[in-house]
Amino acid sequence: MNTLARHRRLTRIWASDPGWRGWFTTVNHTDLGRMFLVTAFFFFAVGGVLAMLIRAQLATANSAFVGAETYSQLFTMHGTIMMFLFAIPAFEGLAVYLLPKLLGTRDLAFPRLTAYGYWCYAFGGTMMLVSLLFGIAPKGGWFMYPPLSGAIYSPGINTDFWLIGITFVEISAIAAAVEFSVSILRYRAPGMSLDRMPIFAWYALVTSLMILTGFPPLILGSILLELERAFGMPFFQVALGGDALLWQHLFWLFGHPEVYIIFLPAAGIVSTVLPVMARTTLLGYGWVVAAAVALAFLSFGLWVHHMFTTGIPHMGLAFFSAASTLVAVPTAVQIFAWIGTLWKGSPQLRLPMLHILGFFATFVMGGLTGVMVAVVPFDWQAHDTAFITAHLHYVLFGGFVFPVLAGIYYWLPHFSGRRRFFKLGEAAFALIFLGFHGTFLAMHWVGLLGQRRRIETYDPETGWSAINLVSTISGFVMAIGLALVLIDVVLHTMISARTARNPWKAGTLEWAMLLPAPAYNFASLPRVTDRDPLAFDPALPLRLARGEGHLGTPAQDRRETLTVDTSSGRPDYMVIFPPNTALPVLMAAVTGLFFLSLLLKTYWITPLALAGVAALACRWVWGLGARADAGPQDAGHGLALPLAGETDRAPGWWGSVFLLTANATLFGSLLFGYAFLWTVAPGWPPPAWLPAAPAELAVGAGGAVAGAAGLRLAVRGNRRGRPVPGLLLAAAGALALLGALVSFLGRIPDPAGHAYDATLTMMGSYALFHAALLALMTGFLLLRVRGGYTSPARRAEFPIVRLWADYAALVAAATLGLAHLPGLIA
Amino acid sequence: MIDLARILVAPLLWLATFSAVYGLQGLGCAAGWDATADGPSPLRLLLVAAWGLTILMQVALLGALRSDRFGADRPLVRRVSVLGGWVGLVAAFWSLLPVATTTPCAA
Repeated sequence: MNTLARHRRLTRIWASDPGWRGWFTTVNHTDLGRMFLVTAFFFFAVGGVLAMLIRAQLATANSAFVGAETYSQLFTMHGTIMMFLFAIPAFEGLAVYLLPKLLGTRDLAFPRLTAYGYWCYAFGGTMMLVSLLFGIAPKGGWFMYPPLSGAIYSPGINTDFWLIGITFVEISAIAAAVEFSVSILRYRAPGMSLDRMPIFAWYALVTSLMILTGFPPLILGSILLELERAFGMPFFQVALGGDALLWQHLFWLFGHPEVYIIFLPAAGIVSTVLPVMARTTLLGYGWVVAAAVALAFLSFGLWVHHMFTTGIPHMGLAFFSAASTLVAVPTAVQIFAWIGTLWKGSPQLRLPMLHILGFFATFVMGGLTGVMVAVVPFDWQAHDTAFITAHLHYVLFGGFVFPVLAGIYYWLPHFSGRRRFFKLGEAAFALIFLGFHGTFLAMHWVGLLGQRRRIETYDPETGWSAINLVSTISGFVMAIGLALVLIDVVLHTMISARTARNPWKAGTLEWAMLLPAPAYNFASLPRVTDRDPLAFDPALPLRLARGEGHLGTPAQDRRETLTVDTSSGRPDYMVIFPPNTALPVLMAAVTGLFFLSLLLKTYWITPLALAGVAALACRWVWGLGARADAGPQDAGHGLALPLAGETDRAPGWWGSVFLLTANATLFGSLLFGYAFLWTVAPGWPPPAWLPAAPAELAVGAGGAVAGAAGLRLAVRGNRRGRPVPGLLLAAAGALALLGALVSFLGRIPDPAGHAYDATLTMMGSYALFHAALLALMTGFLLLRVRGGYTSPARRAEFPIVRLWADYAALVAAATLGLAHLPGLIA
Repeated sequence: MIDLARILVAPLLWLATFSAVYGLQGLGCAAGWDATADGPSPLRLLLVAAWGLTILMQVALLGALRSDRFGADRPLVRRVSVLGGWVGLVAAFWSLLPVATTTPCAA
């Protein structure tokens, strides 16, 4: 097969459907990455317009431009959009587009999940925008503190839009994090060991693990607050055993890592682009990886520094103040590694480099004010002033937007297949840089003079008028600069000339393909022997195009790729990806219906939507696998690999491990909430502990043991071709668990009566959901066995269900045990 | 995955122990273990013991990550995991130092 014939055949296999249908059925990461990025920048523009309206309101004293009600919606939606609908999705989009190309593979681990994540983001974001258009947008600030956001002080639907819309959007982040974790660890080019991974992949891996453990506390907090608002379950009401501070803990358990979830991918861009601009390699690769890991973990120990003024004991303040100062060290390690890289190389002042220099200046200043507010006495003075707003913009705009703009200009030839022609970008950079510093330096100043955050107006006697006017004018200068970037990119994609392959002479694999990127990425998969494969072997692109790598000759019209051992990069099995399908958009729509039914309080639709999601999920999984053993497959160069379905650790198993990590974090946060209320909240102990019911406890324990043991028996039995007895035992265990948990929930007197009862209801419902999931999975697996989809060789599905069975058993046992303990003691 | 675990284990241990000591301080204050007539309170002694144990665990882990038996074979993974060990140790010492220097329950 010659190169052109290979290109045509692979394009036919991997391409999206033609026409408008392709937008809704594509599962290709290149398409979806672009869709994510365009949508994220659309939301960035919306958030930017809101920022300009905020600045217009504050430009003069006693302004009546928009009024207090609208102003509250503007600043709430500005923060919400920039955090949840721009920054995280922009990272997702860039990583969805780039990761398979950087890693030398053909797609992400779960292409349909990528599409599902995108549609959840698009639908959830649209839901938020609709609220804005109808004037019923959230208005409690982007961190939605109760009691202000509770039903008493915020009646109406505004807050519900935030709680439900953001939870819907976060499905996208969790899906992406699972996807990236599995892809980075398993879907790499043969030979790409951990120490040969591109630095961006390390950053994306660390960020993904942070999303998996950082987002669940907020999801839990949103569920609890919505339950309080909708059904009166008093998690945050002090009079009924709740505590408003619980929300702050849950929110900032997410909120502080969120800052680093936004910064780390940007640092990954800098670590990728800067060495290319300096014509050298990254100095201190290992130190930078260690710094990223350290930063990720330390960031989870800082959340209370957002709560320094809530009356926490001195020792608690000192813990978090110390940890907050510590976080400067790994950040500085990265900064010095970048400076050292510049020193080592021969820097060229191209446009991406300008934005990186802008990042340096801005982010270092933001970091320094960060150390200032980490010191408790200073924070007490500056808390809730415009100084904090200015600090967070220095960190987030400096630490994310400048690097992202550097990345956009760096990879623009890759996205478009065209070379840069117009020079608008340089002028845009100057306007953005000057405008940004004019806006936010002034805001530091006015904050130190006492201007509080979120005030819609001020008196002229305060002396803040001139500073605010400077800030507003600068803000508009920055907005003009950002608009110029948009114009530059649009002109570039429409009328610039075609570019050559690898215009920057970079060393990473994404430049080893045709531009713009073909649907299949690589005509054949490279064997990697160096961290910069293109620098090591400049002829690699041609050899890959000629099919000299792995999987260069598609044996059947299947979407084939390889996975590798996590550490060594040794190929271990072959994966066949699913074709284009409308299932993801359909499932996202039905998921949206579920959230919409909660928002509009049409609860009769809720179980129907849930059943719809379950049915579509079954349909989703049913299409996988085969009815006959395939045996080892030819992967080229004499390599024969089993199909993923004929192994014990298929991609679904890996995905389940990471999804369960997020799930366990959510359950852990719930247990933390229970312990927090019990020990800290006033109004405890509750009027009465739930009486123990030994029979219920025994049935639950028996069900947990049977569920977990049944799946183990099924795994072993399947090796002899007899999995059914084990599955039947697991199904019986799931039913016993369901019975025990329904009985437990039925005995809770009034979930709205006290936070204790509300918490028990939440824990019981969570365990009930997992018991039902186990019953569904076990029943589904029985049908698969009956349908001939399993055999002693085709065994991948059993270990996956076993993971979920173990988790359901653990959660149910923990819930019933903890709930019965006080009653047993009493 | 073992290599990844080597890289993550020391900072993860710091995070777990940091959260546990913070929780212990909250629990001790709620339970009134800070009350004392003379000398260090039971809560202070408990917290200092927990701090010491945390540091000892981090030292042991760092030793293990540097050893031939438990350390990584790949040079990069070995370097990153040992750096992680130092991060865990320094963070354990510095972030929990307040157990010896500040009042446990006064706000």
